[in-house]
Amino acid sequence: MFRRFKRHLKEGILGVFRHAGLSFSSISAVMITLLLISLFLIITTNLQKVSEKIEGSLKISVLVKYENESEADLKRIREEISKIYGVVNITHHTKEEEYQYYIDTYFEEQKELFKSYEDSNPFHESFMVEIQDARMLEEISVHILGIEGVFDTNYGGVSSRKLVEILNNIRIIGLALVISLCSLAIYLVYNTIKITISARADEIWIMRNVGARNGYVTAPFLVEGVIIGIIGSLIPVLLTIFGYIYLYKQTEGYIISELFSLIQPLPYVIELSLILVGTGILVGFVGSFLSVNKYLRLRR
Amino acid sequence: MIKIENVSKVYKNGTHALNNINLFIKSGEFVYITGSTGSGKSTLIKLLNGEEIPTKGLVEVNKVNVGILKHNKVPLYRRNIGVVFQDYRLLKSKTVYENVAYALEVVDKKPEEIISRVREVLKLVGLNDKANSFPDQLSGGQQQRVAIARAIANKPKILIADEPTGNLDPKMSDEIITLLEKINIEEKTTILMVTHDFIIVKKRPKRTISLEQGHITRDMIFKGVKNV
Repeated sequence: MFRRFKRHLKEGILGVFRHAGLSFSSISAVMITLLLISLFLIITTNLQKVSEKIEGSLKISVLVKYENESEADLKRIREEISKIYGVVNITHHTKEEEYQYYIDTYFEEQKELFKSYEDSNPFHESFMVEIQDARMLEEISVHILGIEGVFDTNYGGVSSRKLVEILNNIRIIGLALVISLCSLAIYLVYNTIKITISARADEIWIMRNVGARNGYVTAPFLVEGVIIGIIGSLIPVLLTIFGYIYLYKQTEGYIISELFSLIQPLPYVIELSLILVGTGILVGFVGSFLSVNKYLRLRR
Repeated sequence: MIKIENVSKVYKNGTHALNNINLFIKSGEFVYITGSTGSGKSTLIKLLNGEEIPTKGLVEVNKVNVGILKHNKVPLYRRNIGVVFQDYRLLKSKTVYENVAYALEVVDKKPEEIISRVREVLKLVGLNDKANSFPDQLSGGQQQRVAIARAIANKPKILIADEPTGNLDPKMSDEIITLLEKINIEEKTTILMVTHDFIIVKKRPKRTISLEQGHITRDMIFKGVKNV
């Protein structure tokens, strides 16, 4: 068993070096593919984290009509909102609180100018409605607008929804790119193995004629494909580990603001590395498997 | 041992390679198979080797119905059949010893078993002293001996020699036939030898099966003694 494994490993390694040029092109293709996969994964997982943060704090501001500011009306509106599916929490803000918040936030310097508005406060009684999922924002907002006594609804979610949409687009484009690159890498491995098979045609003929099992004949080629995959994943793994740790240190874990915080390097880079090596092995194996099946199994 | 009943082989391109042939070869026989190009000799070998399956009829070798043999069983079946070709098909980068040992290594024989069997067959084919030579350092006859040694290394019950003397001069051809006869007797191996060379057939008379356009036209021992 061990003797056989050693033989397959030796033949596989020899195969890689027998056609160094071709192997190099396959390894390069695997390498580029994995580098892009790594980049894609780093961007999407970090954006995912940001979008989760935003989604987690999605709120709708509900303004109540002036004529419905009675205790009874406010209670009724609150109850009706709370019945809507997807509503997690409702906080009431009085018009005085809103006025004060507005003044404090925007006109710190000219507070006196707004003193005159204290008696005729133009703000509405309002509710801050927290919801479960960003995708429900519009639906819930429309629903709330239908409640008697509701003047208007606002949600700052438009921009965050856009972010979610952008993230989805990045995912789709990235996935398409990764699939295309994986296919190209598989195709190059496929061709490398095809050449190895033709170079070893005599040995294959002898093996078949003296009754070597199919597995024995095919194993060295599969090993060769896997070795190409592993070698191809080395540089992307190193760049991912050291590059990400460097980026994290340089940015101190934040990009632009606290909202855009990066994922902690450990165990994140290790997980990414395992994905990269696994993908490399898979690409190499699939490429050689397809080649072996096409060129070795044609005949009985 | 080899039973061929009503066998026909039609290839996908419509070529009728064999037409309803019947044949029985006993264990331990030495048989010549003759015929011109396209007569069906190669197809017959491929059917016996399990490389092709008959379109119709039964191909039975050592009680194994080759036509219904599953794909994964073919390698094991082939261990009972050795094949030698006109062009030797030796691995040029390996020595004589390694060429023969290779046939045993790939069927997972133990190292000690390989050493003793390789020595045994090299002695049998008379190439003990050439064990460390490379194929290019040998004459055509010697290379064919290596190919024969490799083919019988796994002790097959049948040895198919496809034009083994095709590239050799009469003297070397004679030596190869002598060797095949020796294997036939000493190893009790059934030998099927495909040949165009009627000088050999007449000089060393044995059962001769002639094929023409997919039919068996003659099955006899030369000197006019009819066998079937």
